[in-house]
Amino acid sequence: MSLLKISIAGVRGVVGEALTPELLIRFAQAMGTYANGKIAVCRDTRPSGEMALSAVLSGLIASGCQVIDLGICPTPSMQLYVGEKGFSGGIAVTAGHNPEEWNALKFVRPDGMYFNALQGQELLDVYHQGEFNKARWDQLPPVVCDGTAVDGHIARIVEQVDVKAIRARRFKIALDCCNGGCSLASPRLLEQLGCEVFVINNDLTERLPHDPDPSSGNLSQLKALLKAAGADIGFGHDTDGERLGIVTEKGEPLHQEKTLGLLARVLLERRPGIVVTNFSTSRMVEDLARRFGGSVVRTPVGQAFIAGKVKELDATVGGEGSGGVVVPFVQYTNDSLAVIAVLLEYLACRRRSISELDSELPRYVMKKQDILLEPYQIFSTLQNLRAQWEEREEAVDFTDGIKWEWPDGWLHVRASNTESLIRVIAEARDESRATELLDGALAQLGSVAG
Amino acid sequence: MRPIRTLKISISGVRGVIGDSLSPALLANFAQSFGTYVGGATVVVGRDTRTSGEMVRHAVVSGLIATGCRVIDVGVCPVPTIQLAARNLHAHGGIAITASHNPAEWNALKFIKGDGCFLSSYEAEELLRIYHQHEYSFAPSRRFRTLRYYPRAIQDHIDRIVEKIGRLKSGFRVAVDCCNGAGSLMSPQFLEALGCRVIPLHVIPDGRFPRPPEPIAQNLSELSQLVRDSKADVGFAQDADADRLAIISESGEPIGEDNTLALAAYYVLGKTRGTVVVNLSTSQVLDDIAAMRGGRLLRSRIGEVNVTDRMKTSGAIIGGEGNGGVIYPQVNFGRDSFVGMALILHLMQEEQKTVTEILAQLPHYSMIKTARQIASDQIPGLLEKLKRFYGDKKIDLQDGVKIHLDGSWIHVRPSNTEPIMRVVVEAPSLEQAEKLVQEIEAQLG
Repeated sequence: MSLLKISIAGVRGVVGEALTPELLIRFAQAMGTYANGKIAVCRDTRPSGEMALSAVLSGLIASGCQVIDLGICPTPSMQLYVGEKGFSGGIAVTAGHNPEEWNALKFVRPDGMYFNALQGQELLDVYHQGEFNKARWDQLPPVVCDGTAVDGHIARIVEQVDVKAIRARRFKIALDCCNGGCSLASPRLLEQLGCEVFVINNDLTERLPHDPDPSSGNLSQLKALLKAAGADIGFGHDTDGERLGIVTEKGEPLHQEKTLGLLARVLLERRPGIVVTNFSTSRMVEDLARRFGGSVVRTPVGQAFIAGKVKELDATVGGEGSGGVVVPFVQYTNDSLAVIAVLLEYLACRRRSISELDSELPRYVMKKQDILLEPYQIFSTLQNLRAQWEEREEAVDFTDGIKWEWPDGWLHVRASNTESLIRVIAEARDESRATELLDGALAQLGSVAG
Repeated sequence: MRPIRTLKISISGVRGVIGDSLSPALLANFAQSFGTYVGGATVVVGRDTRTSGEMVRHAVVSGLIATGCRVIDVGVCPVPTIQLAARNLHAHGGIAITASHNPAEWNALKFIKGDGCFLSSYEAEELLRIYHQHEYSFAPSRRFRTLRYYPRAIQDHIDRIVEKIGRLKSGFRVAVDCCNGAGSLMSPQFLEALGCRVIPLHVIPDGRFPRPPEPIAQNLSELSQLVRDSKADVGFAQDADADRLAIISESGEPIGEDNTLALAAYYVLGKTRGTVVVNLSTSQVLDDIAAMRGGRLLRSRIGEVNVTDRMKTSGAIIGGEGNGGVIYPQVNFGRDSFVGMALILHLMQEEQKTVTEILAQLPHYSMIKTARQIASDQIPGLLEKLKRFYGDKKIDLQDGVKIHLDGSWIHVRPSNTEPIMRVVVEAPSLEQAEKLVQEIEAQLG
């Protein structure tokens, strides 16, 4: 399996022989050449963060950019900062939910959103062409450090929710920051919202305590903390503040798909409208949209697609089954701090518990399997599968891989944007049907593998 | 053939023009080569005040961390301070980010060993091999070590010189020109710690050099004026990384870089008899001083590391180069302008004389240094031609060709750092020296 992924979503890899200082420097130079101006940078807490950030700084300075270093902070804090300050762009040094040995560069444009596919392609063209801006010795602005990005982010969120109502409820919150970029920001937000915070894994100097993907399987520490503290709700962060995992007051970790489900439920009631999500996300959003008089628009997987569509369609909410949700009135990007505030506001105003809210969500069973392949096998395998289905008259969508829809379930086969593998996802009303769909897909893939 | 004039990768390190050949990726790869060479151990990093220093520093730090090195950043400070820090902090190596006397658009990496010396020529060859063959090592990121900062390196350096050479009793008035280089952050406090009253010039450490950073006579007119106007007892000038020292006499005259080492050796040999090591192009006044004070003089090839290697094997008590570089192992195994200042001020105090008066006690020679651009393929033939022309004279072939004449000498050699041929001539009088220069120019064609 390849340890490096260069794509329109940025550059991502296992630090060491795959993600080298030279590669990081050259990508930063490409960004400096492409965006050319004031660039904000931030990073998460991975052990490779200092090395990768140094590489990025040298590349940006050499291309003549004025760099503002925001230090360790959530990526959405940096994105909001870039948009508000009118900078030329930003680079986040973070691999989000990937394991600790990974790192990545994510590229942000002047409005604070991630590069779209065309911009990502243009950046890659600059990188491949290799002719970067070279600033003269007397045109190398010193790096400026600014620690205020989190303040601005929290202020923006707080002004968008009913702080009084949240404070009056005096929530007890269990919080797992995964020793990541939210370690300082998230407790501060919650304290401003009048919550009593019980926090673990908020030490920026420590290693990541567990797999940073806040899927239900990685929330066991948080579950134990919630029970010990008798908290009303538990929140689990990834390392950069995009994905959010939730544990109910009963100590039940919710499936990652439910983060978007809960937000869709809350926000659609307030403002019936469009929910933007990807082809791999649970059908529960369709049910919710129907209930509140809204609709669902699906895009290929990747948060740049979702956020772009949310803005374009003035959607009510957007997000992915991975636990990343866009709250449009805060900003057009996945923002787990905004999600926390919106959810707490609803629970406070309606005097409800998180498990009561969860019980309203439609029930589905989702099954996933990843198939590890060499990078050169992935597209031929998918193409072979697609060729078998293109001629048939069934409800098949080829926008992002191959997606089949039936009244009682669906199946999605696609190439990962971030790793060298094919993802297979099946969802149905019950376990046996979901397993049947998944097994069918795996058998088909086995017969066409290149 | 069209050689590149903006990049030089050699055993002296990697040196080039920012915004041209010296790219961040090249610097990171070089740092990674060095991290590999020292086996991912502790490495001290420091830099001079050049505007490109921050960019270069970030590239170097990323390359070192990637190999698993524990990096200690000593910040902006003089090169001898970085060398001393490598020793004091028990590092296994160091990288000094400085192009020393080169113009402001240049920068360079200089590689230091755990004992504070620069890499010797064969060690540098090994490093170059790692770089050219891309044999860098990569540590897994769970073994990356957090960068540490050490802000006390300059104070350690001051303390060490005060301890080893001592404070002054006389309150000299000293004018010092730091060229807005790394010396700006140390020279004023250092001279005050010795007990001097300081008249500072160009001590804004912003890397925008108000004069060419090489401390040669024609670059020091402002300091000369300052010495005269302020009636200072002496004036000192440093280059951008503060390894070289030039002296302005109390009357405002530059005394010539060669005399910096001469005066320092005169003082040290007056205290202790021992061995002095200088390079082949250093003034013969050092031979006279060794004879006067009962010491022994040895000559090495050009280049700081060649001098220090010879000093180590011979147990020398002082050494250096004619370009104003004084090496005093009691303090530091590298050229150190601060050591030079301390030794010369102590000499003035002990003799109760001015610099001019002390120099009058020593023989006087005239030295002329010139340089010629000569295509690389012409150089070996030219050196052969000189050997034949001076076949009946005493010739030293350690480094280029050095011809010993009666009471004078000529040294012709290719530069280590620039694509030029250097010619140095010394004779008892300026006329004689000029005549020899004409003679050699005719041979070079």
